[in-house]
Amino acid sequence: MPFVQGGQTTLVSIFSPVVLLPLGDKWLIESRGAFEGDFVRRDGTGPFGGKVQQSLEYLQVDYIANPYLTVTVGRFLTPFGIYNERLYPVWIRDLQADPIILPLEHGSSDGAMLRGGFSVAHNLNLNYAGYFSTLSTNNTLASDREIGGRLGAFFPNQRVEIGFSVQHLLQKNRANRFGTHFEWQPRALPLDIRSEFADAEFGRGYWIEPALRLNAFSHAQILAHTQMVARFQQFFAKPGIANGDVPDVNTKESEIGINYYFMDGLRAVSSYGRQFSSEGNANIWTVGITYRFAFPLGPGGD
Amino acid sequence: MMMRVIAVTVILVAMAASAAPKKQAGLVETSPVVVQDLAATRIEGEKRFQTNCGRCHMLPHKFPPRMMGTIVRHMRVRALITDEDMRYILTYMTE
Repeated sequence: MPFVQGGQTTLVSIFSPVVLLPLGDKWLIESRGAFEGDFVRRDGTGPFGGKVQQSLEYLQVDYIANPYLTVTVGRFLTPFGIYNERLYPVWIRDLQADPIILPLEHGSSDGAMLRGGFSVAHNLNLNYAGYFSTLSTNNTLASDREIGGRLGAFFPNQRVEIGFSVQHLLQKNRANRFGTHFEWQPRALPLDIRSEFADAEFGRGYWIEPALRLNAFSHAQILAHTQMVARFQQFFAKPGIANGDVPDVNTKESEIGINYYFMDGLRAVSSYGRQFSSEGNANIWTVGITYRFAFPLGPGGD
Repeated sequence: MMMRVIAVTVILVAMAASAAPKKQAGLVETSPVVVQDLAATRIEGEKRFQTNCGRCHMLPHKFPPRMMGTIVRHMRVRALITDEDMRYILTYMTE
């Protein structure tokens, strides 16, 4: 998909295979890799070119010990906030550009994790994840030595979830990071409202993203398959601590987008945003197609 | 005489066996009570799909049951769906 920021066009192609291998009733080996090509014009006006980057986002073994506990070992998505674990895949996210605070969620960790979700009352489900990860400087398996966790409360009748995340770095500056998340899908409208806040040593920020399916207003095919989405976000940089993944200065960004669902797994996406910061304002455009498919790798798929 | 009796008995047993309705693997007994329970389970499963899975994505097309079982197990771990919700959703997605 073309991604245009501040007048520079990048052609982005992402192929992200997920492999699932169940063993018996309680075990699951799962993995997701990513092959991402970011192609820009050579010398400003020449043909598009660039390298394809490979990454291993998770490769983990899950043991479902009982209805309350799953033990995970390996490389896993860091359970901080909701975007990294639940919304990151291109076929799920409603806007293709990453939230500014996403790098604060620390993509992947190498270690062990305990997690689970269970009902504690008629209208209250709790979910939790606690983990320890070790330091790895290997490019493919990069990870920090840290401990952390997330606790969420989900109210099924109202379809509201609120949660809190924490991380403590066990290396370098031994920083503490905090986060909160909120999700609401009201039953009266096909509306999703999602939001996150994160505070880390590099800065703090938030995003809020409403998305509305237009089948609430018309069953005409073109409207029934269309989704309108918007995101507003702010990032407040902490002076003196630089990190290449987040802006060095305070930044504000607004985006709107339209997605059209052709069928299950196939949709067209588009968005326009405007970023404001003391380093200069910029327009951000994206147009693209996302496609998700699945097939059995071995016999016995049925 | 004895041979005739045995032969007739074998034929009758064979006819009875072939006439008995075969229970196909993977299908549920179709007595009215079970059908009613299955319908209620599917309705509850759909509700729980919308409540849990529908928070992030739409209803996917149906995959073969064993494949769907693996996908639902993956999503149980990923999205921290409760054990009970997972069972209802799996029934909804495979029946």
